[in-house]
Amino acid sequence: MAREQTLADKISSSSVWRSVVRHGYPDTQRNQALIIASNVFLHIHPVKIKRYATKVTYTFCLGGLSFFMFLVLTGTGVLLMFYYIPAADQAYQSMKDIESSVTFGQMMRNMHRWSAQGMVIAVFLHMCRVFYTGSYKPPREFNWVVGILLLVVTFLLSFTGYLLPWDQLALWAITVGTEIGGAAPFVGEQVNLVLRGDFEIGQSALIRFYTLHVLFLPLVAAFLMAVHFWRIRKDGGISGPL
Amino acid sequence: MADITQQMPGRSPATAIDEAKRQKLLELVRGRALARPTDLAEDEVMVWPSLVVVEAVCATVFLLLLIAVSVLFSAPLTAQANPNQTPNPSKAPWYFLNLQELLLHMNAGVAGVIIPTLALGALAAIPYFDRSPLGVGILGTSAKGRKIAGFSAIFTTVVLIGMIVLDEASGRTQFGIGGFLRTQLGAPEFVWNQILPVGIIMATIAVLVVLVQVIFKPTRREMIIALFTAFVVTYIVLTISGTSFRGEGQDLVFPWQLPLEHH
Repeated sequence: MAREQTLADKISSSSVWRSVVRHGYPDTQRNQALIIASNVFLHIHPVKIKRYATKVTYTFCLGGLSFFMFLVLTGTGVLLMFYYIPAADQAYQSMKDIESSVTFGQMMRNMHRWSAQGMVIAVFLHMCRVFYTGSYKPPREFNWVVGILLLVVTFLLSFTGYLLPWDQLALWAITVGTEIGGAAPFVGEQVNLVLRGDFEIGQSALIRFYTLHVLFLPLVAAFLMAVHFWRIRKDGGISGPL
Repeated sequence: MADITQQMPGRSPATAIDEAKRQKLLELVRGRALARPTDLAEDEVMVWPSLVVVEAVCATVFLLLLIAVSVLFSAPLTAQANPNQTPNPSKAPWYFLNLQELLLHMNAGVAGVIIPTLALGALAAIPYFDRSPLGVGILGTSAKGRKIAGFSAIFTTVVLIGMIVLDEASGRTQFGIGGFLRTQLGAPEFVWNQILPVGIIMATIAVLVVLVQVIFKPTRREMIIALFTAFVVTYIVLTISGTSFRGEGQDLVFPWQLPLEHH
């Protein structure tokens, strides 16, 4: 016996709704498969998965959290970019403005800062989880290497962002950091000069770090993440007991 | 068919199909396709809802946590950058403080570039040395693997703390050995500040390897567990030392003696 059509039924059977969502309500296996397969974002997943792969105590969600924090950082980062001025004589004042005059500015900055720290920790712990469960073993060797590259990019993203507030903490942390890099044999001085664009940290360093931080490194990270996630599926999904 | 291939120049007549071996189409059977996307094996679940729910819950819980932390704690903003006023101590971001700690004990190029590069290279190379599929999906491979990890963690922590304190007590002269080489024998910087510290590190790793080998008789995977654990613990111990125990002039102090902005 057919039940009465509710408003929700009418909306979800309308031609407009059906043009966006091509499958029915996901309460049948068919629709549950279609919702994964037909959605570009969910399609990162296979339709079905081994039961152990859904156990939180196996992965502790660490890889997912790293990605999630990348998304949070992208979102809050874009909002901060509307107000932040990457000029040595204005950067600090724009930080002050973000904190005191911009609605939710302090909140955006806090979320950006703590996610950045959190992402470094999550990526590192994710590496430990993958190691201790032996998940790097064939056929996943190459994805482990991609993961190491992502760890390096995460460090670089955090490091380049560290200079932007243009306060004492930023300036001297980056001074110490680039001095460590500058100690590299043979190429150290050149590397340092390329990074700073000058012999000391000033306007050229700020604009270089800014460009690396908001554009170049996020693109590299996104590219590597695409490879990383793709390879998880191609290498047989997340690892598990044989 | 056979006639045609025989007529074609350059084509061997041997390729003609052996009638006895030819498979025959017997009949068509109506039934389910062999692998449909919704056919679940016993140990499988549908990603929607089983995995998507886990992800959504994790993301929500974490986002709430992040918002709570961001409401409670504000990101630091110190005085405006001033190139003429060097703070004492000046510190790199915390995740590089392990390198800065290392830097106190040896040549900057060795500590800041060569060692981290080698460490990253060694990390990336792990799967090409350990290829056996044994223990995949099991934390620490086995009870023995977990025991080895624990042993390596304790060994590394004790040895590192000992080394940091000892080197500090000897005025950062590589336990006095480097100081002796430099002042008494007039050895060049290359010897006492580069070769010597690297040698000490290699010797320490060798001691760990020998101990694990003798005590546990490990497989290759278990030996790599010992080494990886040593790396992770080194990273953590040096980071904590650099963050919380290095005060003015990078001297060893207790955390409560640090200048306020480093608390």
